[in-house]
Amino acid sequence: MAFQHTRPKKPEIQKSTTPWLRLKEKLAPYPFIAPFFLGFAVFQLLPIAFSLYLSFSQWNGMSAIQFSGLQNFIDMFQDAKFWNALRVTFIITVFCTIVGTVGATTLAVLLEKVEDRLASILRVFFFLPSVTSVVVIGYIWKQLYSSDYGFFNSLLLRLGLPPQNWLTDPKLALPALLLMLIWAGLGWDALIITAGLRSIPDELYDAGKVDGTNGWTEFRYLTLPLLQPTLLFVLVTGVIFLWGIFAQPSVLTGGGPLRQTQTIAMYLYDVGFRYHKFGYASSIAIILSLIMFLSSYLNFRFVKSESEY
Amino acid sequence: MNRRRKILGYSIAGFLLLFAILYLFPYVWMTAMSFKADGEIFSGKVFPENPTLVQYERLFFGYQYGDITLSVPYGTYFKNTIIVTVISLVMVLFFDAMAAYGFAKFNFPGKKVLFWLMIGTMMLPIYATLIPSFWLFSVLKWINTYHSLILPGVVDAYGIFLLKQYMETIPNELLDAAKVDGAGAFRRFWQIVVPLSRPAIGTLAVFRFLFVWNDYLWPLVIIRDDTMYTLTLGIANMQLRQGMVVWGSQMAASVLATLPVLILVLVMQKQFLRGLTAGAFKA
Repeated sequence: MAFQHTRPKKPEIQKSTTPWLRLKEKLAPYPFIAPFFLGFAVFQLLPIAFSLYLSFSQWNGMSAIQFSGLQNFIDMFQDAKFWNALRVTFIITVFCTIVGTVGATTLAVLLEKVEDRLASILRVFFFLPSVTSVVVIGYIWKQLYSSDYGFFNSLLLRLGLPPQNWLTDPKLALPALLLMLIWAGLGWDALIITAGLRSIPDELYDAGKVDGTNGWTEFRYLTLPLLQPTLLFVLVTGVIFLWGIFAQPSVLTGGGPLRQTQTIAMYLYDVGFRYHKFGYASSIAIILSLIMFLSSYLNFRFVKSESEY
Repeated sequence: MNRRRKILGYSIAGFLLLFAILYLFPYVWMTAMSFKADGEIFSGKVFPENPTLVQYERLFFGYQYGDITLSVPYGTYFKNTIIVTVISLVMVLFFDAMAAYGFAKFNFPGKKVLFWLMIGTMMLPIYATLIPSFWLFSVLKWINTYHSLILPGVVDAYGIFLLKQYMETIPNELLDAAKVDGAGAFRRFWQIVVPLSRPAIGTLAVFRFLFVWNDYLWPLVIIRDDTMYTLTLGIANMQLRQGMVVWGSQMAASVLATLPVLILVLVMQKQFLRGLTAGAFKA
């Protein structure tokens, strides 16, 4: 851990320097930060400004851009496919944040109770999906779910149960996706929570033991409150990630059946790059960004008020 | 009490071990599948009865159908991914370290505003820039190029933040001494700050490697030509090759794409965890 110095502010000593050298030192920091801001201007600021403008326009990428005011947003409000995508993404986000965070916290706490050498091996195991390409993960699970030769169906058959169309049954596709997402996200969250657990000083636990804590009270009144900043980080990054989820569902199900797994980001991609409605796609992008900002803000508020007891 | 604790420890360990084996099953499936011949794929058994390398051979030497050979430019995907990953890693680390040094070791007018502006970009989802960026790159005729894959990723506020946190712990006295000896700003950066920041730079390198190696959405948007595909795009598009049994070779490709990151994580495991503890959530 980084130790904190408290260093008295020194007066700037610049003896024996010519005005030229002094100027050079003064200007020195700018070249170091310039590349970032140059890239920021070209690859982020410019596109964002253009995106905002496009969201109030109609454009197919070829003809002239036509300003159309709020039309895109009115269309979106009446677009059943948009609402469907919003619903699907909302379910994914809420389910995976809650189940994922609870699961990861449990896993991290249990891992701390295991002897170190075994724990570090187990940690790598659980961390594997976090470093595996989402495309690879999607295809493995697609095979596990396959109706012809998949693992889940051969398991069902062996148990004497009827096989299911996991990815083409409108009722089963979303749960199948959720299971894969929980599996894929568990290790990453658990690792970050582990890091948070490690930063809680041992003395606090010792003090707790003197006061007679058992496993549960220790967790509830000591670990959990102190873990709060870490959990906040996991929640906020998780929510942003899940609202924007794209690759996993598009590989596993392609959004089907009947759009039951089509997320906002997938719908945006379709509208923009398949139907070439760049104006409308930009408005969806703006709304998606706003949703992300809003839900991370709500997370901050919620966790803050929770801690004030 | 102590004994009870020990028993509890063992049963937790046993439970986690069992859970881990279940958890890893998809990887077992992937590996087992990649060693099956086409005829065995539908056998309903997890492990191959006659393991074969045919799926791997296909990736590099193509599919044999009688006299016809259909090739998958898998070697090209690998090459593309390596080129993009290496170049973008070098660039990101260099520019991130520079900006981090600028913010950590200097005071200058506008520093606060610029710093928060940079932090603000972390909140920016890729979707907010996706469509205009695509348009910008097509106007520049940069579709299907390496630099279109590399350049946007070089703007990386998260990395700057991580390195800045670390560089602030480097004592200023060290830099002042070098300054008195006549070392300019860049020399102090290159000869003092960068070597001392190696642990943080290492952590960041792992992060960025994983991100670039596995990225899917941006390549999907910007790459249309299959000789420019990265591994993820290549694996995703194997599906589309008609008339071929791709299940096995898709898993073989997945195994080969996963191995480098697996090795990296095993080697860097300790450092990785330490890096996370040091800087990840001090916002």
